[in-house]
Amino acid sequence: MRAEILYPEICNLCGDLMNVRYLQQSCPGMEVISTDLKSRPVFLDEPVDLVYLGSTTEKGLQLVVQTLLPVRDQLLARLDEGQRMLVTGNALDALGLDVESDDGLKFDGLGILPTHARYQMMKRHNSFFLGKFGELDILGFKSLFGHTYDAPETDGLFTVIRGVGRHPGSELEGFRRGNLMATYLTGPLLPMNPPFVRYLLGEMGCNHCTPAFEEAAMNAYRQRLSEFSDERRNPVD
Amino acid sequence: MSKLRFLLALWMAKLSIPALKITRHQGTDFPGQLALKICPNLLQYMGRPKTIIAVTGTNGKTTVSNMLADILEQNGYRVMGNRAGANVISGISTAYIRACDLFGRIRKYDVAVLEVDERSSVRVYPYVTPDYVAITNLTRDSVMRNAHPDFIAGILTRSIPRSTKLILNADDLISCGVSPDNQRVYFGIDRLDTDVKECINLINDMRICPKCNGKLEYEYLRYHHIGRARCRDCGFHSPDSHFLGQNVDFANHAMTVTEEGRGYTYPLITDNIFNAYNVLTVIATLRQMGMTHETIQQSMSRTVIDTTRYGQEQVGDVTIIKQMSKDLNAMAGSRAFDYVSSRPGRKELFLVMNNMTDAAHWSENTCWLYDTDFEFLNKDDIVQIVCAGPRALDYKLRLLMAGVPEEKITCDLNEEKAADTLRFTPGDDVYYLYGADDWGMINRVYDYVKKLALERGGSKEVQQ
Repeated sequence: MRAEILYPEICNLCGDLMNVRYLQQSCPGMEVISTDLKSRPVFLDEPVDLVYLGSTTEKGLQLVVQTLLPVRDQLLARLDEGQRMLVTGNALDALGLDVESDDGLKFDGLGILPTHARYQMMKRHNSFFLGKFGELDILGFKSLFGHTYDAPETDGLFTVIRGVGRHPGSELEGFRRGNLMATYLTGPLLPMNPPFVRYLLGEMGCNHCTPAFEEAAMNAYRQRLSEFSDERRNPVD
Repeated sequence: MSKLRFLLALWMAKLSIPALKITRHQGTDFPGQLALKICPNLLQYMGRPKTIIAVTGTNGKTTVSNMLADILEQNGYRVMGNRAGANVISGISTAYIRACDLFGRIRKYDVAVLEVDERSSVRVYPYVTPDYVAITNLTRDSVMRNAHPDFIAGILTRSIPRSTKLILNADDLISCGVSPDNQRVYFGIDRLDTDVKECINLINDMRICPKCNGKLEYEYLRYHHIGRARCRDCGFHSPDSHFLGQNVDFANHAMTVTEEGRGYTYPLITDNIFNAYNVLTVIATLRQMGMTHETIQQSMSRTVIDTTRYGQEQVGDVTIIKQMSKDLNAMAGSRAFDYVSSRPGRKELFLVMNNMTDAAHWSENTCWLYDTDFEFLNKDDIVQIVCAGPRALDYKLRLLMAGVPEEKITCDLNEEKAADTLRFTPGDDVYYLYGADDWGMINRVYDYVKKLALERGGSKEVQQ
């Protein structure tokens, strides 16, 4: 079993990298490859069971796009062949069509997802999220400068129960394109969602593995599910 | 018209001050809030003292501001500031309202020492032009509010006036990048025995060169991105310090500060590297004002740290150490954990760094737990970790991920019930690690922990 983290030196905000550590703790023996900005991604040439890209700064997003642009077509081909990839937080925007902020920042993304990111730099969006992935309840947080717009209301990763999806009013959160799973949820998505980890491990062919520290993780998950389901709590801070 | 609006706002706000005193609310920022509602650009019309020092940065700005104000007052300066209130625009406006006369003139004060929240810079500096801005450090803070340090550095660069002189931490390349065209001096601490070359922390926000994106190499790394770095691709490197801390001796609470080749011995206020940086920030700032090292040395020795942030007392058979570890702030948490784990002796830990304000109506975003180095707590001499409050179950999972054996961890959502599980083994040090947003709960539970320690220890006296 192999996982590859793309650009951990810059894509590491919000505790995102702990998603891979949790996966590794759930699947002892999993090899984790860290690929820096100066190196060619391993998954383009060799089998990798999961590629991971996490949250970064706005400058970091531009660097990710610049770095992946020369291999964009190969990346797209690998995704079309079924490469499994998990993208969390604002890293989703690197895969979109473009990013534009109210402070003048504007750059094109990789154009893999049909969506436009819009940021308001002094108006941070904070919310908690309760959604569905099939029958599974998904819990998470968003702390972002904005949302993503104008994509067709199809191919969502999660459906929204409470909180904000791709943008206020959308019933879908994130994007699913084959085995590419991209979500705006930030931080410890996997430690917070042991049922989803169980699903992911199964998809990766690691059927004998269980989420690490499953009892403790499930206790925290159940408590949070109860909190997030409580109608007295407003999902948007 | 605008000036009339200003005077109306000022007079209304001044009138509110005695009313607040009568109702025992004099510590609030209400005067500033009221005045800003009437006149949003209130500070534009305010007079100014001869010198304005602003202190900003992620960690340490309260300690530095308080020390600066104390030392300046000890030396005869008449100091105004916002130490009694908040570090946002309303708190700073309140400080000005209290200090000025009925026409907004500042006549009774020589110096303003203003603690300024980084994000509030955009609302303060268009109207208040500091002579000096001291930036303690820029690190990750609340992801909900401050996003990431690069965002905050950008805010400061856009906000700080061009004429302001910066006092910067040379060991922090993020704050070194603020307002590159401004005049500046640097402070830093020379290589320590405990420094490393490769980062052992989860967070290092300066891994690539800010000039060419090449990999940064550290001559020495203290923690996170704090250290001295060089880019092997383009030669960019950390600046040299005008005020260099050397011979840092935590055991004897002393440090040499070298300026232009001459060393001066200073006392350290605690045995914590964070506070060594705070002391250096204060020295570098006061030197800009022309104060001599001898004067600063004498005043520094009379300075005490705010006991709301750190305290220690013998209770029954144990020592209870109260250590603030700001919730939502991974850097503060990691520093507190590193400090605790480096202390000698057997330790029992009580973690109550919950964000109670969010817990009441929303939910704390727990991302920061996964940026915080809980791994420091995986040590043999940390014999028990008690997790308390709404996020206790999250703490437990995070501690397990950090490798802490499950048998050492107890948790309860109720703080008092959690405290009941502390062992209070004679001779142990009990560390009480608390956040910053619910002092009522923090003090209530601390008193309860002390009561339990006394009961278990046969009601021996408390020794401060």
